[in-house]
Amino acid sequence: MITVSSLTKSRAQVRVLHDVSLEGAEGTVTALVGPSGSGKSTLLRCLNGLETFDAGQVTIAGHRLAAGPQAPGLLERLRRDVGMVFQQFNLFPHLSAVENVALAPRVVLGLSASDARARGLDLLDRVGLRPFADARPATLSGGQQQRVAIARALAMRPRVMLFDEPTSALDPAMAAEVMEVIVELARAGQTMVVVTHDHGFARRAASRVVELAAGRIAREGLAGDVLSADGLASA
Amino acid sequence: MKSLLGALAVVGWLTAATVAADLDEVVARGELIWAADQEGGGPHVFPDPADPRRLTGFEVELAALLAEELGVKPRFQQGQWDRLPLLLGRAADCVINGIELTPERLRDYSCSRPYFGYSLQLLARRDGPVDTFHTLAAPGPEGRWRVGVLTGSAAESVMRSRSDLEVDVIGYDGTIDSLEQVSSGVLDAAVMDDCIFNFYADRFSRLRTVERPFAGGFYTILTARDTPKLSAAIDAAIGRLIADGRLKSLYDRWDLAGRQQMLMLRDGAEIPVARRKTLGELARDTLPLLLKSAGMTVLLSCLAFPLAVGIGLAVAVGRMHGPTWLKPLLTGYVEVLRGTPLMLQLYAIFFLLPKIGLALPAVAAAVIGLALNYSAYESEIYRAGLKAVPLGQFEASLSLGLSKWQALRYVLVPQAVRIVMPPVTSDFIALFKDTSVCSAITVIELTKRYSVLALSTGRIVELAVVTALLYLCMSWPLALLSRWFERRLERPAADGTEG
Repeated sequence: MITVSSLTKSRAQVRVLHDVSLEGAEGTVTALVGPSGSGKSTLLRCLNGLETFDAGQVTIAGHRLAAGPQAPGLLERLRRDVGMVFQQFNLFPHLSAVENVALAPRVVLGLSASDARARGLDLLDRVGLRPFADARPATLSGGQQQRVAIARALAMRPRVMLFDEPTSALDPAMAAEVMEVIVELARAGQTMVVVTHDHGFARRAASRVVELAAGRIAREGLAGDVLSADGLASA
Repeated sequence: MKSLLGALAVVGWLTAATVAADLDEVVARGELIWAADQEGGGPHVFPDPADPRRLTGFEVELAALLAEELGVKPRFQQGQWDRLPLLLGRAADCVINGIELTPERLRDYSCSRPYFGYSLQLLARRDGPVDTFHTLAAPGPEGRWRVGVLTGSAAESVMRSRSDLEVDVIGYDGTIDSLEQVSSGVLDAAVMDDCIFNFYADRFSRLRTVERPFAGGFYTILTARDTPKLSAAIDAAIGRLIADGRLKSLYDRWDLAGRQQMLMLRDGAEIPVARRKTLGELARDTLPLLLKSAGMTVLLSCLAFPLAVGIGLAVAVGRMHGPTWLKPLLTGYVEVLRGTPLMLQLYAIFFLLPKIGLALPAVAAAVIGLALNYSAYESEIYRAGLKAVPLGQFEASLSLGLSKWQALRYVLVPQAVRIVMPPVTSDFIALFKDTSVCSAITVIELTKRYSVLALSTGRIVELAVVTALLYLCMSWPLALLSRWFERRLERPAADGTEG
């Protein structure tokens, strides 16, 4: 489902990713961990083309990204199959919760307004926010906003979901409710890549863990092996 | 003492009761300040083609002769022709500029004895359908005939009073603007003083005089009502210039048929003084016209502003997200339109486009001019608005599979529009007031109507108050709207609905 081979990327003459290769099979959850600045968020953003890279190749959900700028239209096709959730939620503040979820199905997939809304309400139900369908993002708590953002990404029925530190901007109680939703998705067999600092969460949700350090893969393996080897699991 | 004089001057200006310089002061100063408009001012007053820094014209020489008679030097004061009388008592002692002797002027100013006899001449294209004055009595192939005149001139009031003619009379601020417009086909005909056309005839070879002049009258020198000694001195001086032949030889030098002029001046007709209107009559006669012109102001604003916003938004998006080759073009568009005066742009659209075969009606030209000019400002506002939308919004849209244009349309632009609502509303108020510039291209909106009515009725203060109130009635709701938007944006949370 996901293959990254020999990915290399420099930014302002500094190498941020160095010869990174990894695999993510269908139905598995891969956690990307590592200290700040290790390149894990950049790697994630290369997977859906929000960042370009200098060498190597990415294959994801049947789409192939080469180094440099992409062919016209490729990224739009790819992103229909690859959803993303951001640290800062990035909900559209001028739209209600259900409109946030229904926008892409309506605009990109061409669903009718009522079908798109129905799909939006279903997904809000799934993340426990059906009663807040008509609320503007500014009136929701951070945890609620992030759950709406997850519903928004799921609305395209993506084959792969990318999470960029989805709980870092939340206090522990809210983080827990968002983690619950992600763990639930993992159980349902959604293929996911999750960038996180929270090793407890990584161990619970991920089947494989890849640890990055200074743009290189430091370690990788089964979640339990990597995270317990040096006692990080208790962090 | 100075501030007291200043206050007096302001009061004097407000009440049009001029604190003018009478003869003693003119003599003490050693200068007679005379006002005229040198724009398209031949043969009266115009820049000498050989040395444009120097003014020439038969009235320049007349002013010199009059000053000499008073024992002082002449000094020229420039002004917009139809507003020259307003300079009396403030910037000028007298107005010498082809001012026709009319009942209204006799009522409002002190008018000298006639110094020149003019005739009104109808002018049209040689190849055009207007070949007799009588042609104007029946509608033309495109409906009513369009006839240009100088705003505030006798030609205008004579043509407007001829209800027997099928003509729309269009007023221009410059003497020869109407000749340009007849030449380029925008107008069917023009009416002006014969001496003006005779002077410029060589420049407009496509035009011809239609029949003999059909009306006429006399030029007078205006002075303020409260400078009787100056008025009397000017009258006496004109008398001496006529008696000893100096005026005749002046006119002969300018090819203005000196002998005929002297005969006309000798037989100068009596003109009755107009009665001042009561306030009731004033309201009855001017309010409907002012309201109609306020309607034009609203029409111009409401047509031009949405266009300006649409174009401005497109330009902003094009500059930020368009193809590389387009960006410098759009930047140039914005800088040219922001960097040149609105007045000049309106002139270009109205007077220059017809020369390449694109003649637009005045209202259309005004709307387009205002829209283009304001689109430059709106595009800068929208550019700032788009920049204020966080990058995360764009990335979130793209990550959902939206194209760049879909992201702009559904996510970025709607947010930018909300962000810039207060400055955009404030620009709408600015445009609303800028519509007054359109009078330069013959559109009669509220300010122009005020100016015309104030001069023809002599009720400058009363009408100014009414006009200002009309503007306030229209802009106040806009200001309220603008403040409402601002309050709404300050409390974004209050605008959501709790589920």
